[in-house]
Amino acid sequence: MDKDLKISRKKKINQAIAFSLFTFLSYFIVAILFVILAFLIYKGIGVLSWGFISEMPTDGMTSGGIYPAIIGTLILVFGSMLFAFPVGVMAAIYMNEYVKDGWIKRFIKLMTNNLAGVPSIVFGLFGMALFVNKLEFGDSILAGSLTLGLLALPVVIRTTEEALKAVDDTFRQASLGLGASKWQTTSKVVLPIAFPNIITGLILSIGRVSGETAPILFTVAAYFLPKLPSGIFDQVMALPYHLYVISTSGTNIEKSREMAYGTALILIIIVLISNLAASRLRKYFGKKVKMN
Amino acid sequence: MKKQLLVLMLPAFAMLSCGGSKEKTEKQAITIKGSDTVLPLAQMEAEKLMKQDSSITVSVIGGGTGVGITALLEGSTDIAMASRDLKTEEALKFSEAKKEIEKVLIAYDALSVIVHPGNKVSQLTREQIEKIYTGEIKNWKEVGGEDLKIVAYSRESSSGTYEYFKEEVLDDKNYATDVLSMPATGAIVQSVGQTKGAIGYVGLAYQTKSVKQLAVSYDEGKTFIAPSVAAAKDKTYPISRPLFFMYEKVNSEKVKSIIDYTLSEEGQKIVLEVGYVPLK
Amino acid sequence: MKTNYKKFQEKFIEGLLMLSGTVTSLTVLLIVVFLFSEGLGVFNKKPIDDDFNLTIHAENRISKLSPSQVKNIFDQKIKNWKEVGGKDEKIILFKIDDISDFYTDDQLGKDFKNLSWCINDYIVKHRGVIAFFSKKYISKNFKGKILDVDKIKVSEFLSGDEWFPTARPVAQMGVKPLILGTLWVSLGAILIALPLGLAAAIYLSEIANSRIRNILKPLIELLAGIPSVVYGFFGLVIIVPLIQQLFNLPVGETALAGSVVLGIMALPTIITISEDAMRNTPRAMKEASLALGASKWQTIYKVVIPHSASGITAGAILGIGRAIGETMAVLMVTGNAAIIPTTLLEPVRTIPATIAAELGEAPNGGVHYQALFALGCILFIITLVINLLVEFVTKRKTLSKH
Repeated sequence: MDKDLKISRKKKINQAIAFSLFTFLSYFIVAILFVILAFLIYKGIGVLSWGFISEMPTDGMTSGGIYPAIIGTLILVFGSMLFAFPVGVMAAIYMNEYVKDGWIKRFIKLMTNNLAGVPSIVFGLFGMALFVNKLEFGDSILAGSLTLGLLALPVVIRTTEEALKAVDDTFRQASLGLGASKWQTTSKVVLPIAFPNIITGLILSIGRVSGETAPILFTVAAYFLPKLPSGIFDQVMALPYHLYVISTSGTNIEKSREMAYGTALILIIIVLISNLAASRLRKYFGKKVKMN
Repeated sequence: MKKQLLVLMLPAFAMLSCGGSKEKTEKQAITIKGSDTVLPLAQMEAEKLMKQDSSITVSVIGGGTGVGITALLEGSTDIAMASRDLKTEEALKFSEAKKEIEKVLIAYDALSVIVHPGNKVSQLTREQIEKIYTGEIKNWKEVGGEDLKIVAYSRESSSGTYEYFKEEVLDDKNYATDVLSMPATGAIVQSVGQTKGAIGYVGLAYQTKSVKQLAVSYDEGKTFIAPSVAAAKDKTYPISRPLFFMYEKVNSEKVKSIIDYTLSEEGQKIVLEVGYVPLK
Repeated sequence: MKTNYKKFQEKFIEGLLMLSGTVTSLTVLLIVVFLFSEGLGVFNKKPIDDDFNLTIHAENRISKLSPSQVKNIFDQKIKNWKEVGGKDEKIILFKIDDISDFYTDDQLGKDFKNLSWCINDYIVKHRGVIAFFSKKYISKNFKGKILDVDKIKVSEFLSGDEWFPTARPVAQMGVKPLILGTLWVSLGAILIALPLGLAAAIYLSEIANSRIRNILKPLIELLAGIPSVVYGFFGLVIIVPLIQQLFNLPVGETALAGSVVLGIMALPTIITISEDAMRNTPRAMKEASLALGASKWQTIYKVVIPHSASGITAGAILGIGRAIGETMAVLMVTGNAAIIPTTLLEPVRTIPATIAAELGEAPNGGVHYQALFALGCILFIITLVINLLVEFVTKRKTLSKH
């Protein structure tokens, strides 16, 4: 009895040590996040103002705002999603609703996973070789959006697939039993139920796309444009590239440093907002579905 | 669903249709592309020119000298900025394409050798710098400093600055493999400022308190010359390289405004402001 | 009629969906085609400028020099022909800029008319000479010997120790330091991220209550959302000096700095995937363990971890995959010196950083440009292998379940 107690006490101590270690490390990770955020806020908050996000840069990028870069990033995000979202959702529908288990499905899945693992700099090389050079789009919104779209495609496919999988099979059986065709079932029954989760995936991939530098480096990004783009064959400025270039080039380092921190902060805020929106949305719809 | 999709697609069509009318604009649109070293200068010149003459718009795009020259060859830019001369393979391509290229010298970029502000050494001969970068001298005490390992920083191997420094200062010898290369001059300044044994080279323009500039001797230690715009201008300071705007001869009418402006008194004043060395 | 139309519509939509399904496969295929067609081109080229010659005296025994020998000769590290298998004769470097030191303006003629004659004359008169000059200056009755330079070989490309892609007269294209640098940094990253990530995954899935979990999980996922440029920036200003002081190093830009930054970036991947795997442990198994008197901690490491081992492995491998491909952050913190790494406390140069930094300056279509695409191919192959590994690991899991 005594011995048993000892063992169980030892167990308890072991458990307490292990658990507090895990707890500590988890909070440590969160602390890293806060250190990074705090660092950027501390350095960058000084330059944030309405002018910073609404004006053109002036004095050789050392004052004024980053308005064109923000607009450029928004255009690129929009353009890439215009491609990745419909294609990704349709691909996921095909995978989950249409094709039967077998080598085709396995193959497509494998390829999608492979694409997800391709490094972003390789996407940049590919985009430059295919869109910019081969198809002669030149450095343009079109080339950059397509490159980013391909990069985001696996993310959209994966999240949509998860969303479709989460739809209970009884819905499908009921609809098919009532004589609806497969597409009717998919479009009228499955998609509406899965919709909130699909949107969450979309928002998450927006966060991913807006921060990528390597794929746009050689496909679209420009250092300084006096005006906003007027067509899809124009180049744009973009936040991540802007941050990269003003933190590494420019002759007035102290001044452009400040601008760089401000740009980083704006970039983080965009990512933060889209992540928060995604989790909010998930929660909101999650509740609604349960209530029904 | 379908309606939503359509709403999403509309702006894209709008964008497409705009693309076609791009050429019709009456405004003179000039594109400058290339060397990251010339970027800040070209951007400043463009900004000031546009302020004067609102009928001109100038876009400035980075990417590197190679990218700029390729773009010039393909006709996707009007002016290529270059921090080096054409390479033979590039010159060949232009002659194959039957394109005549005009090179305009716009400014000089003087390179200063910098060290950590706490470093006792304040001057080096060219030979010493060569030996440091080729790995023969590894400790500051060999050149009269403290007993401290030398950490040499350089620009990326592909940059014009890297090649110029190699040809001019290292007697065309290759850098030692353990020389650190940084993606940009700003990064070199940052690193040299926070590393005690560091040595680096940057454009004269990058004057900050966080690093110390060295005087350099090109006559085996007889005279040491501190880098300054004045010294670079009268050519007593030896390490300075030319910066170019290159354009196709048939295009000279179109690019005249920005070229003339850059070479004008006002434009050359900007050169000085940005931190490069004016021509006169 | 109407049913016919409907049937057609069904078929049409199915076709459209199938088409979308093939886009990813098609993209992978296209990436392979474009990357490899550019990248493999490098093995069809010589590492010397096309219209330049490397020449020596006609009586010199040497008929071939390796790229690294050429480099060392021109760097004046090899000073005698016997070091490369020739006679005991001092090597004399000849560059075209020096010509006016040896010949008068009269001899050279107006507009350098007699330049090719002078070059020939110089080479004939100096037995130890090695000269590098443009083909257009080679005279008709040239008396020197033109050295042959081999095309770049796959084996040399992969095993070469030196990366000087712009070196003249002969470029050094050895990617071994870059490959090793990439693997080294990624390995370091995973050594840092795996224990941290596992701890957090265990905490989130087994220890924390759902309220805390709902707060922490999005925060950790936010780490994945921070752009890599920001990480690079943060790394350069904070982590690099920290490492320098902590280990008392001469230089802070090291593989370790890269590993720390990449480790942080890989955390969300590892945590999300291993947490998912852990939460998939059947409740019955856990309860059985607890009912037998095991503590919660014992249950975790005797039941939950073994059960989710394949998921954890997959997370770790994917984490490595992310780290290997990361570009911008690494570019700013690892120092980018192309040396073969021996410790984590030295600077390294990775493949993605090399591509991003050099592609802009490399002349389009040249040897250097193609070599960078070849690097892209290597990167692609590495990540492909990693993905197949993940596939293999997770497949074994699904098989063993049945």
